Amino acid sequence: MHGRLPNSIKLIAGNSHPELCDAIAARLGIPLARVGAFQYTNQETAVTIGESVRDEDVYIIQTGTGYDNLNDFVMELLVIINGCRIASARRITVVIPTFPYARQDRKDKSRAPITAKLMANLLQCAGCDHVITLDLHASQIQGFFRVPVDNLYAEPSVLRYITDTFRNEINELIIVSPDAGGAKRVAAIADKLDVPFALIHKERQKANEVSRMVLVGDVTDKICVLVDDIADTCGTLCKAADVLLSNGAQKVVCVVSHGIFSGNAITNLNNSKLDKVVCTNSLPIKDKLEQCSKLEMIDISPTLAEAIRRLHNGESVSYLFNHVPE
Amino acid sequence: MRDLIVLGGSTHPNLTRSICRNLTLQQGEAESRKFANGETSIEIKDSVREKDVFIVQSGCGHVNDAFIELLIMISACKTASAKRVTAVLPLFPYSRQPDVPHQASHTGAPSIITKKDHYTFESAPGTPKPLSKKEGDRFQLGAQNNTSGIFSAVKQPLPIRSYSPKSIVTNAASTNFQVDASGKTESGYKQWVSPNGTLIANLLQTAGADRMITMDLHDPQFQGFFNVPVDNLYSRPLLQHYIVDYIPNYRDCVVVSPDSGGAKRATAVADAIGCSFALIHKERRAKIGKNPPSTTSSNMQSSLSQQTTMVATTMLVGDVKDKVCVLIDDLVDTSYTITRAAKLLKDSGAKYVYALVTHGVFSGDALNRINKSAIDKVITTNSVPQGEHVAILGDKLEVLDVSRIFAEAIRRINNGESVSMLFDHGW
Repeated sequence: MHGRLPNSIKLIAGNSHPELCDAIAARLGIPLARVGAFQYTNQETAVTIGESVRDEDVYIIQTGTGYDNLNDFVMELLVIINGCRIASARRITVVIPTFPYARQDRKDKSRAPITAKLMANLLQCAGCDHVITLDLHASQIQGFFRVPVDNLYAEPSVLRYITDTFRNEINELIIVSPDAGGAKRVAAIADKLDVPFALIHKERQKANEVSRMVLVGDVTDKICVLVDDIADTCGTLCKAADVLLSNGAQKVVCVVSHGIFSGNAITNLNNSKLDKVVCTNSLPIKDKLEQCSKLEMIDISPTLAEAIRRLHNGESVSYLFNHVPE
Repeated sequence: MRDLIVLGGSTHPNLTRSICRNLTLQQGEAESRKFANGETSIEIKDSVREKDVFIVQSGCGHVNDAFIELLIMISACKTASAKRVTAVLPLFPYSRQPDVPHQASHTGAPSIITKKDHYTFESAPGTPKPLSKKEGDRFQLGAQNNTSGIFSAVKQPLPIRSYSPKSIVTNAASTNFQVDASGKTESGYKQWVSPNGTLIANLLQTAGADRMITMDLHDPQFQGFFNVPVDNLYSRPLLQHYIVDYIPNYRDCVVVSPDSGGAKRATAVADAIGCSFALIHKERRAKIGKNPPSTTSSNMQSSLSQQTTMVATTMLVGDVKDKVCVLIDDLVDTSYTITRAAKLLKDSGAKYVYALVTHGVFSGDALNRINKSAIDKVITTNSVPQGEHVAILGDKLEVLDVSRIFAEAIRRINNGESVSMLFDHGW
């Protein structure tokens, strides 16, 4: 059952997102390797290696999630990488759909840490040879690494979702960016769908708090699709929905790549005027789907699995930037 | 003090405060909090440009949070043009590298906090005893202090946060596989736990630490994992002082090492104060059944797990009869080793058992075990916060202060003086 070919592929699951790991393993048709992280009572993380990874192509799947144990998952990933390196793996690739600390990517005030850069350094220090990630908050984070980074896009999956869902109402659609920073992403989607786009300009005073919003563009009687990369406390999105509806929008739907939904996000969403919130399963959102009927999930595991397959076989990954694997 | 600034991590504010008080220095202001998504955010409020920065963080509590916090602080100081960043780690995180793979059904460090009403401090099979005793006597012998009133008063230490450690990975495929007593899977691959020491050392250096100060490293070799200077301070003078000052007739007591690894540490103390020495030797070996394992693969797993069992034996080398015993160890975590050792000592006729440990981590149900064990007094240091432990163990626990040693080391490093006199001189 566990017979292996020489230089074969090994898939290792971290503890952060077991469903995604299972989905990727099922898609690739290979079992998860018997390598797993656990904690001792003193809360130190350790990894047991239960099968040989010598000269194997190792893929470790871990995502940045959890309020109380985000740092545990980071340490877990580092410990697993180190374990595989010690065990003479040929190549270690980390698959991090949601890159932890991606938003702390610049020195925005005196003595602020650039933690995203630190994370990149830590991953390389532990011994990773390649990184696969999804919709980095800032694509410049790729430059923090000295190893190759494949930054996949949720965009093809998002496009497919929009065309499938609004097949008959495509003329009524307008794509809206909730902040100026996302304008480029939104414009690309709008171009591909051949629909107009609008932009909301906001004046942010403090992190996670939104002050004033100004709408640029006409949304009267339109179905607005808000597109963003991260939905955290959802304050921005809820406010944006209010602004759009007060400007005469028919309804507001929101599509995000990473649904963190921390703090009061679920309550905010339930109380908001948003019609629907769609996010990928780059983070575990199973329990949140139950708590919020407005929430819908796009399965991203085919894209990640295909990227792993292509990387392992030495094929080009760029096909995935524009296509969803069947 | 030239250009000196001491910052504190969130794990041990009291120690940072005492260190600063000993240095007559205003503590540097740094704020650590968490964003709503769980990411740690650090804000260093005092300027560190061209300063000599010391960051105090112990490897305790929520270890991974503390460690990542420390890494972020180091890198924040580095990017803010600090001249030199020194990590002060009273208890070095991940310094003990367990080599036993965890299996719920086997021996090894347990990973789930369980509160039990009844503890046996027995290693399996029972430790060979020099004196024959009735079964019923055994528990009372091991716990002369424990009246029924204390039993009921035992409290379970509450974790500060609602966090419960994930003991075992959630994907069944990766760990729920059969291993036999020697840790082999059915495919013949021996399961192992990868050591993290080098990783931790490299991570600290990657973050930008220029120097470490720590105390009583479990492995002295750990120092070699670093390419930067590591000052390993010793708590030995402190412990010796306690023995000399507070143990009556200390020259008649026996210094005992609870395992062979700590023998060197214990003999050093015994030599310095001139008393006798004993050693407890612990061994774990696989006992293989009589029938050879069947060759059919379907029976393989069950036959393997039935026929081989792990056997732990402990034995005492040295005479402790009617003596006061002083167990010396560097770290008490789950307290399995030390409580078993204490029971063995009492069974061998020891009068009173002190346990002197540098780092009292007391994870899991360690405090309850100690409370019900044969140990009469635990002496530890404040290298990790002991407030909650004292609240539970009460008079049974005494805490020695290490802040003076660290403060002096920081002062000397800042001034470019020798630190080595701290190793021997009593502080």
